Amino acid sequence: MILSLELKKLRRTGYLPIFLGGSILASAVPLVNMTVRSESFTSLPGDSFPILMDANWGMMAQLTILLVVCGCCLMYHTEYADKGDLKMNTLPIRQFSLFCGKFGVTLLAVVLSLLLQSASLAFSSIHWFADRSAGLKELVHSMGYELILLLPTLTLMLFAASLCQSMWISLGAGVILTFLGSMIHEGRLMLSLLPFAAPYRMLHAVSPEDVNTCLIICGAQTLLFAAMEMIYLDTRRKFA
Amino acid sequence: MNEFKIELIKIRRSHIFWILLIPAAMMWIPSALNADVNFRMNDIGISPEHNFFIQGFMGMAWFMIPAALIICTVLLNQTERTNKGFLKMLSLPVSTGRLCLAKFLVMLLLMTVQMLFTIVFYYAGALLASRLEDYDFVLELPYVIHGAAMIYLAIIPMASIFWMLAVLIQTPIFSAGICLASIVPSVLMLNTKLWAYYPMDYPFYMLMTEYGKLAEGVFTTEIKWIPMIPVSLAVTVLCLGISCLRFGKTETR
Amino acid sequence: MNIIETKQLTKSYGNFTAVSDMNLHIPKGHIYGFLGPNGAGKSTTMKMFLGLTSPTFGYFTIDGKTLSSGRIPILKKIGSLIEAPAFYGNLTGEENLDIIRRILRLPKSSIGEALELTGLMEHRKRQVKKYSLGMKQRLGLAGALIGRPPILILDEPTNGLDPVGIHEIRTLIRSLPEQYDCTVLVSSHLLSEIELLADDVGILNHGHLLFEGTMEALRDYAFHAGYPADNLEETFLAMIQTDNAARKRGGFQ
Repeated sequence: MILSLELKKLRRTGYLPIFLGGSILASAVPLVNMTVRSESFTSLPGDSFPILMDANWGMMAQLTILLVVCGCCLMYHTEYADKGDLKMNTLPIRQFSLFCGKFGVTLLAVVLSLLLQSASLAFSSIHWFADRSAGLKELVHSMGYELILLLPTLTLMLFAASLCQSMWISLGAGVILTFLGSMIHEGRLMLSLLPFAAPYRMLHAVSPEDVNTCLIICGAQTLLFAAMEMIYLDTRRKFA
Repeated sequence: MNEFKIELIKIRRSHIFWILLIPAAMMWIPSALNADVNFRMNDIGISPEHNFFIQGFMGMAWFMIPAALIICTVLLNQTERTNKGFLKMLSLPVSTGRLCLAKFLVMLLLMTVQMLFTIVFYYAGALLASRLEDYDFVLELPYVIHGAAMIYLAIIPMASIFWMLAVLIQTPIFSAGICLASIVPSVLMLNTKLWAYYPMDYPFYMLMTEYGKLAEGVFTTEIKWIPMIPVSLAVTVLCLGISCLRFGKTETR
Repeated sequence: MNIIETKQLTKSYGNFTAVSDMNLHIPKGHIYGFLGPNGAGKSTTMKMFLGLTSPTFGYFTIDGKTLSSGRIPILKKIGSLIEAPAFYGNLTGEENLDIIRRILRLPKSSIGEALELTGLMEHRKRQVKKYSLGMKQRLGLAGALIGRPPILILDEPTNGLDPVGIHEIRTLIRSLPEQYDCTVLVSSHLLSEIELLADDVGILNHGHLLFEGTMEALRDYAFHAGYPADNLEETFLAMIQTDNAARKRGGFQ
């Protein structure tokens, strides 16, 4: 119910075109990269998938993070712009469930975006690396891993957007964090698992024993940020 | 000039200076704390102080400055639209084209301020790094200003594209999203033959050629003024022309 | 002599006609009351006068000028208050007026004068986003009156004011033609208000002009048409209801 409500609120806000456009752009990255300089990649040894990911995922991940940032800001902007949130608060509904609805919508959008990007990677793999194309299983695992790594970013950004009545503050913060994330993701494991940095990690570049650590840490962060939102909503009511 | 002053009044109390200040501070303070990495670049022949300068400005030119520019365009448009201030402007005897240009000039002024912040924080960072590493990281002022000025000039075509998108696309988050998405592939575009036709990579290109001069085998050392200058002039004139023509048109359907 | 005249003025949005074939005559130096229920086309007509939207058909002249000679010469003659007052929330009341003053190239003293007239002097240093609805309305009025324009277009100027405020603003508007030698076009959906304020009245319903003339002529018309002439509010209601009923029959045929 709450999910369909949130989806309805996003009508005519440009949310769908943004996600569609951004996803298409992210999907275009490997295609453009391979078209323009295919020899420099096909000449590399090894499986197609790690090569493609190494060459393109940085940009694709950054676009996906920016999409999440824009999406979260837009969703809370429609809430705050014409004081829709005031009306929502007078209705018999838990405020936290609104947050959950928005989380659901963003998650759905990210899944769709990753599907599109996977399709593009699969196509590139088959088209340019016909002889050593990786299996579907590897692709699904890898993208599923990225989805979980994106969750803390998503939750934190949603939390930040709910804090700021003025959209451009949360947008500015999100963009700066995106940038910082792209700077620190190459450092130590713990540092690179912070929101906005984690999605740059790639499954094939992580040692098998670290994979579970990554997933657990990201899951814990997601819960932490959701809890922060809950506490914030509580205190806001008390002090408003 | 009158229109320019009016636009400056409008951004009072909008906290825009934080958007200009924070990125500059965030760029240089961490790189000062990690200044020891600059000693590991000897194999490509770049000195640690130059490496410190280039790496920091790279972050600014590639992402921070374009991103701040986008946030500024969103902000400048939002102040007009939130409380229908723009409707009042349109019912006053003022030319929409001049208003549009005045706003663009305000944006350039804000970018100048950001460049100044960048230089100030560069020196703060360099002094801090010198203290921490016991090595002189500080470069002469003329060199730093020259570098910053080149980046600044290279921003203008990009700024005019962002401005046009903000004018044409009513939903602010939509225009911001498109602009943000357009800066991500600039590194990719820089490595293709089409780089000159993608103004989002100009500031980064300027810096990379400087990098090429200081370090061996990193990048070209000569700036290809042709086709860059004609393309950037054409882009700037075209985008500003379209913006001025379309400015306020949706409000007066 | 008529300062504003319209000829077959029409505005439609797709299938919907907001203003239909309207011929208005607004005499110089008079207060002209524009009366009609919500959605009758009052605001749309006023927006057309201000060049905020262009007519689909027909034309109008303001002080002998038409839109074809450009909107700026017309706007120089008009002070306006449109819809919900338009302003910049991050600025103070005084700063908002300063923006208008600079565009109109008026002396600094005009701000104080407008604030004084509308009773906002003591709130001039406060940010407009913290104003009450009534104060915003007064600020909108101050923005229209500043510089004493020869024509005033006021869209429901007493909206959101308390009874004392309504009385004050009404007295102020009433005194304007004599004080400043200006023409006022004021809209309202309350006949009682127009009755107290205006010399002439135009009654609108669904984009059509049902009646135009002096208040005296309206009383005569009501008497002859068999409407209750002793109470003009009821006359107005009866006119609208008859028109709506005729419209409905027309629609079903």
